[in-house]
Amino acid sequence: MLKYIAKRVLIFIPTLLAISLLAFILNISAPADPVEKLSNTADKEGAANQQSNASKKTKQDLRKKLGLDLPIFYFSFGSLSDCDTLYKVADKDHAATLSELSHYYGNWEDVSAYFHQLSNVQTSHSSLDLEEIFMMNTDIDSNPLYSKNEINDVITQSNFEVNAMMETANPSVLESKFNSLDELYSNYSFLSVVKNEFDLAKVSYEKMLSQKSSWKSYVPQIIWYGSKNQYHFWLFGDGKLRKGLVRGDFGYSYIDSQPINTKIWSKVWISFSFSILSVLFAYIISIPLGIYSAYKKDSKFDRISSIVVFVLYSMPGFFIGVLLLYTFANPDTLRWFPISGIQDPTLFNPDWSFWEKTKHRAPFFILPLITYTYSSFAFLSRIMRVGVIDVFGQDYIRTARAKGLGEGKVVMKHALRNSLLPIITVFANIFPLAIGGSVIIETIFTIPGMGFEIYNSILNSDYPMIVAVFTIVGFLTMIGYLVADVLYAVVDPRISYK
Amino acid sequence: MEQNNFSFKKYAWQQFKKNKSALISLYILVGLVFIALFAPIIANDQPLYCKYKGETFYPAFSTLVNSSKVDSVMNDAGVVEQLQFDITDWRKLDLESVVWAPIPYSPDKGDRYNREYVSPLDEQRYKNSDNEIVAIPSRLRHVMGTDKIGRDLASGLVHGTRISLLVGVLAMGIASIIGVFLGALAGFFGDRNLLMPRAKYIFTLIGVFLAFFYGFGVRKYTLANAFSEGNGLIELFISFLIIVAILVGLRLLSRLFKFGWLGKEVSVPIDTYISRGIEILNSIPRLILIITISAIFVRSIWLIMVIIGLTSWTGIARFTRAEFLRIRELEYIQAAKSLGYSNFRAVAKHALPNALAPVFVSIAFGVASAILIESSLSFLGIGVPDDVVTWGSLLNLGRQEFEAWWLVMFPGFAIFITITIYNLIGEGLRDALDPRLKS
Repeated sequence: MLKYIAKRVLIFIPTLLAISLLAFILNISAPADPVEKLSNTADKEGAANQQSNASKKTKQDLRKKLGLDLPIFYFSFGSLSDCDTLYKVADKDHAATLSELSHYYGNWEDVSAYFHQLSNVQTSHSSLDLEEIFMMNTDIDSNPLYSKNEINDVITQSNFEVNAMMETANPSVLESKFNSLDELYSNYSFLSVVKNEFDLAKVSYEKMLSQKSSWKSYVPQIIWYGSKNQYHFWLFGDGKLRKGLVRGDFGYSYIDSQPINTKIWSKVWISFSFSILSVLFAYIISIPLGIYSAYKKDSKFDRISSIVVFVLYSMPGFFIGVLLLYTFANPDTLRWFPISGIQDPTLFNPDWSFWEKTKHRAPFFILPLITYTYSSFAFLSRIMRVGVIDVFGQDYIRTARAKGLGEGKVVMKHALRNSLLPIITVFANIFPLAIGGSVIIETIFTIPGMGFEIYNSILNSDYPMIVAVFTIVGFLTMIGYLVADVLYAVVDPRISYK
Repeated sequence: MEQNNFSFKKYAWQQFKKNKSALISLYILVGLVFIALFAPIIANDQPLYCKYKGETFYPAFSTLVNSSKVDSVMNDAGVVEQLQFDITDWRKLDLESVVWAPIPYSPDKGDRYNREYVSPLDEQRYKNSDNEIVAIPSRLRHVMGTDKIGRDLASGLVHGTRISLLVGVLAMGIASIIGVFLGALAGFFGDRNLLMPRAKYIFTLIGVFLAFFYGFGVRKYTLANAFSEGNGLIELFISFLIIVAILVGLRLLSRLFKFGWLGKEVSVPIDTYISRGIEILNSIPRLILIITISAIFVRSIWLIMVIIGLTSWTGIARFTRAEFLRIRELEYIQAAKSLGYSNFRAVAKHALPNALAPVFVSIAFGVASAILIESSLSFLGIGVPDDVVTWGSLLNLGRQEFEAWWLVMFPGFAIFITITIYNLIGEGLRDALDPRLKS
C-alpha cells in the first residue's frame, strides 16, 4: 500500500518537470521582450542610439536581475558553428542575425568581429552632432553647404540602413546595403567618422566571406552550461533576488510590474469558492439522481432524466451562461439577478461580517453557480447511473437480496458504496474542468477570479501571468490525479498495490 | 447460406440502424457536410444566375474560379458599365431575371441598410434599382437577422459550418493517427515483446537525434525562407525524406554490429514509455494549454486545430492499447506469428482492423469535444483571427447586445446540435460495435 503510494508520488516528479519545462518553453517563446515591457523608460519610437545611456544602464541591470544574460537551459544541442555565448546578446533580432550568420559561414570569430564592427558604426552615429556638422560644413564664404534638414535626413537614412543590416543575414540584401551606404558616404563628406568605421566593417565582412567554413554547421555539438542557466533560476531561484517557481515566485506582471503571486492570491479565493460550491452541488444533485434512475432503470423517470441529462451534457457552457444572462438578468425583461461582478461596489462594505457579505453576494453568485454546476452535474449523473447499473448486475447484490436484506439496505449499503468508486476518479477531472471552464464562465459574468484574470492577461499580452496560471493549474490537476489515485487504492479492495 | 454472408460490418450497421436517434444524427451530419461543401453556393450575395442588359452571368460560380472576375455590359446609352463581380451590389441592379442563392448574402459583407442588429422579425430595408430605400422583398430578407455592421447571420452560420466540421476532421485526424500508432505500439509489443539487438536500440536512439539535427536543425533557415516564399511544403517534405533516410540508414548500419555485447537482444519497454507519456499529457490542463499556446503564438484557426489534435490523442491511444493487449493473445495473431509473418504485417493486416471499433467510438466523442473547444475559444476571441466567421464568434457578438436574441439562439443551437449529433453517433457506434458494452 505505502509502496503503491510512494510509486505514484515518484511518477509525480517527472510529470512536474514536464509541466515546468512546457511552461518555461511557453515563457521564453512569448514574443515580447520582458526588459522592454518592464522598464517604463522604454522608448518605443526612438532607435537604440537615441536612448539615453541611463536608460540603457537600467535595462542592463534589469536584464541581469531577470537572469536574461544567462544560457537558457543546462545544455544546448546545436552544430559546431553555433556560438556558445550567443545568449549574452541582448537584442533578440541581433541574436537571430548572429545565429543565422554563423550558420552560413561557420567561423564564429569572424562573424562576431563583423557584427561588432557594425555596432561600432551604429555607435559612431550617436556621436554625430547636428549643430556641429552644420557649423563645420561651410564654403569659403562661410555659407552652410547643407541645410539642417538635409543633414538630419542623411544621418537618419544611414542609421536606418545600418540598423537594417544588423537584422538580416541575407547576402544579397547585405550586398545592396553596402553599396547604397558606400554611395551615401562618398556623397557626404561630413560622415567621414562613420565611413571609417564602415570601411572596417566592410573589411571584416569580406574576411568573414573568405574564411567561410560552412561544414561546421553540419557537425552536431552539445554544449554543457551547468546549473547557472535561466531554467534553473526560474525554477529554483538564484539565491538572491528571485525565489524561483518552487517557492512561489512567478515573476512580475507586465501590466503593473506587481509580483504575480500577490496578484493571484487576491483572486484565487473567488474561483476556488465557485469550484468547491459547484462540485458540492453537483454531487448533491447527481448522486441521488444517478442512483434513483439506475434503480428504476427503463422507467419513465429514468428515460426522461437520461434525455435531460444528455441534452445538458451536450450544451456548451458558454451558451448556457449567455442564455441565463438573457433570461434572468436582462434589463428589458426579467431582472432578477445582477449582470456582472460578485458585489455591488456602491453598497459593499468591507467591514461587514461574513454573513452580511454572503447575503450581499448571494444574488451575484446564483447564475454563475448554475452554469458552473450544470456541466459537472451532467457528467457525474451519467457516470453515476452507468456505475450503479453495473453494480446492480453483480453477484453480491443478488446475494444481499437473497439473504433477505431490505431494498433500502441493499441500495444504501451494498450498491452505493461500490458505485461511488468512479466518482472519486471523476473528482480529479473536475478540478481542471472547474478551473479551465472558469475562463469562459468568469468572462461571461465578469467575475474577478482567476479565469477572468487569464482572459485579461491574454488581451493585454501579460505573458508571465498566463504562464503562471498554466503552471498552477497544471500542478493542481496533477495533485487531483494523485489524490484520486491514492484514494481509489485505499477505498477499492480489488486493486492490488503491487 | 445466411451464415456465410454474415459479416461484422453488416451486423454493426444493422445494430446502428436500430438506434433511431443515432441514425437521425447521421442524416443530420450528412446534411451539415453538404452545407459545408456547398457553402459558397448556399450563401452568397452574388446571384447564381442572372440576366442583366441582355447578357447572362453566373456570378457566384465564376467568382469561385476567379475571385476578382470583371465583366462589362453595354447599357442603352451605349456606355460600358464595368461589373467587378465580388463588389457589385447585385441587389441594386435592374436584373431582367435572376436566381439568388438560397441565402442571398455573404458572411463578411455588411448590409449598410440593415445595420445595428436588425431582428429577423422586424422590418428590413434595401435600396432598389431606382435608388429608393424601401422595405425589403421577402426573397432578400435576412431570415436570421443581422449584427452590428449588418452582416447576415444565416450566411455566417452556413460558412461557420465549414470551420466546425473542419476542426472535427483535422483535429481528430491528427489525434487518431498519433493515438492509433502509439496505442498499437504499446499494446501489441507491451514491455517485453519488442526485442532488438542492443546495437539497433542504441543506433535508433542516436538516429532520432541525428535525424532531427539534419532534418530540421541544419535546414531551419532553408525551411524558414521557403515558407516565407510559399514553397515550404516541398522543403518540409525534403526534410522528412532526410529524416527517414537517416533512420533507415542507421538501422541498416546496426546490422554490422551483430557480435558480443552489442549483438545481444534486449527488450524495449515501449509500453512504459508510451503510458508514462500519456499520463504526463493527461495531467496538463488541455483548455488552458490551448489558450496559452494560442495567446503566445500567431492567431490562426489552423494552429488551433493542430493543437487540439496534438493534445487529444491520449484517449484514442488508451483504447487502442487496451484493444491490442486483448487481440495479441488471440489465436489468429499467434497463427500469423507462427507462420513467420513480420510484426508489421501482423499488426497492420490482422490486428488493426479488429481493434478499430472502440477507436471509432472515441473519435466520435473526440470530435464533439474538439468542436466544443474551438467554439469556446472563438467565443472568447482567443486564437481565432477576427475576420474568420465561426459559430462561437457569432455567439460572442450577441453577448454584447441584450436585444439581439437571434445572435445568441441560432449559433448556440447550431453548436449544441452539432455536439449532440456527434455524441449520439458515438453512443450509437458504441452500442453497435461493441456488443459487450450493451446493457
